[in-house]
Amino acid sequence: MKETTIQGRLWVLTEPDGALYDDIDTDMIFHNRYLHITDVAQMGQYALDNLKGWEDFAKKAQPGDIVMAGRNFGSGSSRQQAVDCFQALGISAIVAESFGAIYKRNAINSGLPLVTFPNLTAIAAQFENGATLAINLETGEAVLNDETRFQADPLSQVQMDIYQAGNLFAYGKTVL
Amino acid sequence: MGQTFAQKVLARKAGLDSVMVGQILTIRPDKLLTHDNTSAIAGNFRKIGVQRMADPSISVIVLDHVVPAANETYAANHKTVREFVAEQGIAAFYDVGEGICHQVLPEKGHAWPGAVIVGSDSHTPTHGAFGAFSAGIGRTEAAAVMATGEIWLRVPESFRLLINGTLPARVSAKDVILHIIGDLRADGADYRSVEFAGEIVQAMSIASRMVLTNMAAEMGAKNGVVEPDEKTRAWLKGRVDHDYEEIFADPDAPYDRVIAYDVSTLAPQVAKPHTVDNVVPVTEVLGTKIDQGLIGTCTNGRLEDLAAAAEILRGKHIAPGVRLLVLPASREVLLEAVAQGIVTDLVAAGATLLNPGCGPCLGAHEGCMAPGETTISTANRNFKGRMGSKEAFTYLASPATVAASALTGVITDPREV
Repeated sequence: MKETTIQGRLWVLTEPDGALYDDIDTDMIFHNRYLHITDVAQMGQYALDNLKGWEDFAKKAQPGDIVMAGRNFGSGSSRQQAVDCFQALGISAIVAESFGAIYKRNAINSGLPLVTFPNLTAIAAQFENGATLAINLETGEAVLNDETRFQADPLSQVQMDIYQAGNLFAYGKTVL
Repeated sequence: MGQTFAQKVLARKAGLDSVMVGQILTIRPDKLLTHDNTSAIAGNFRKIGVQRMADPSISVIVLDHVVPAANETYAANHKTVREFVAEQGIAAFYDVGEGICHQVLPEKGHAWPGAVIVGSDSHTPTHGAFGAFSAGIGRTEAAAVMATGEIWLRVPESFRLLINGTLPARVSAKDVILHIIGDLRADGADYRSVEFAGEIVQAMSIASRMVLTNMAAEMGAKNGVVEPDEKTRAWLKGRVDHDYEEIFADPDAPYDRVIAYDVSTLAPQVAKPHTVDNVVPVTEVLGTKIDQGLIGTCTNGRLEDLAAAAEILRGKHIAPGVRLLVLPASREVLLEAVAQGIVTDLVAAGATLLNPGCGPCLGAHEGCMAPGETTISTANRNFKGRMGSKEAFTYLASPATVAASALTGVITDPREV
């Protein structure tokens, strides 16, 4: 069994004016000019390189880090590379107020935990780059810098099962 | 309590009398749509360790994204797809030149009322225009569907959008859906099943209904759907050769939201760079200089779209310094546009005719933009950098607005030409 609590250093994706970024689309996450790349290990270096102010994200990110954004993260195309690129960097979870529908499926099926934080925009000022966030995926309880507690949505059962198995393929083998 | 369209169609597929919103079901989809990304999906499929697809008859593969191949990498991908098709014995394969997957799939009889269609393309909701439940999925799960024939789906919440009134001249389905997306925002219908209804939708052609369901994806919808009627049955006649069961939402179905729009006084709408929900009436952006116009894509590349452009451009010529690209959505559309003289009208007016396919919509080839350039396009996305340079600008509009703007060289109200 994998740990059900994830802890990592936080990257809060904000616009140049400091507001939490909404509607980060799949072209901002993984631009269409890289779609010919098929080796997942090569995808990490391009993560967020079309998001204004975050072009150098791949150089700064470390395995285990957690990414935070506003509403509708991963809207747009169905490209799975927009999930794969974060997994290539070892990102341990993405936290947002809401996610694009297909992005959410892609992440679940790839075993990347997406944590939905209702009303995140309203409390976004409390989260800073470099802070430590711990999230219990089963209960949704989140703790910032070992101090402040928040309640996020827990992962659904199917989300948890696929995460525990590793990904959809591994999960499929457990139920077949 | 009644059930929504999504509840009824998914319950039937799961063999249940009724299902609850939020319930997770494992079902066998009727069709699995994939395109050029079949190359990567085939790679994932092999990793699962299964030799044969569970049911090759559900697979529909259309090469459309970068056709003909723009370089060696794309050519190699296409070759991989053709080899996979031959190996697995997939009958429904449509090679370079047939058109865009979301046009070819229904033309060839792979969409029908009550069908459940999943596709590894975000604009798969298009097929809801035929009364199907049609949703986009990712490539890992497309490979899993190939291996198992099954997929897990969460029964979505539903919106019902009622579109009423009468459409003014030179205002079309594209203007209606841009207006709605501007109102609801890019995440306004996240994960939802969106049912389009009302007198305007009933009066719309199948092609116009496809504009609505196609762009439901741009407000985050899981699927969009229009109830089948006599027009649907007539369109599908000769294409779908088996019986199907039409599914209608119950009158007392539970909706998250029911929203009514009266479009009787709607002006042509334009989405400004760089988000689809950045929508204003065309009157607010009049005079914006353009370098390129694009008429085509899975949103607006059908016969009525080309005809609307030809009606404005016939006997005239586009402005000096403007490139106008026209891409019919399919071979069938192209042949009919040739037969009706529409292609002649457009090319004589200065348009460049490109082959049926996705073309420059996703920035791979056939009309990418340089830094500082502006395109007005009938496509469904204007994300920063989508059509080439990150420093370029894409406005989204109807075929009539794009044609009128190509004529003058600046964004122009199609009611004024």
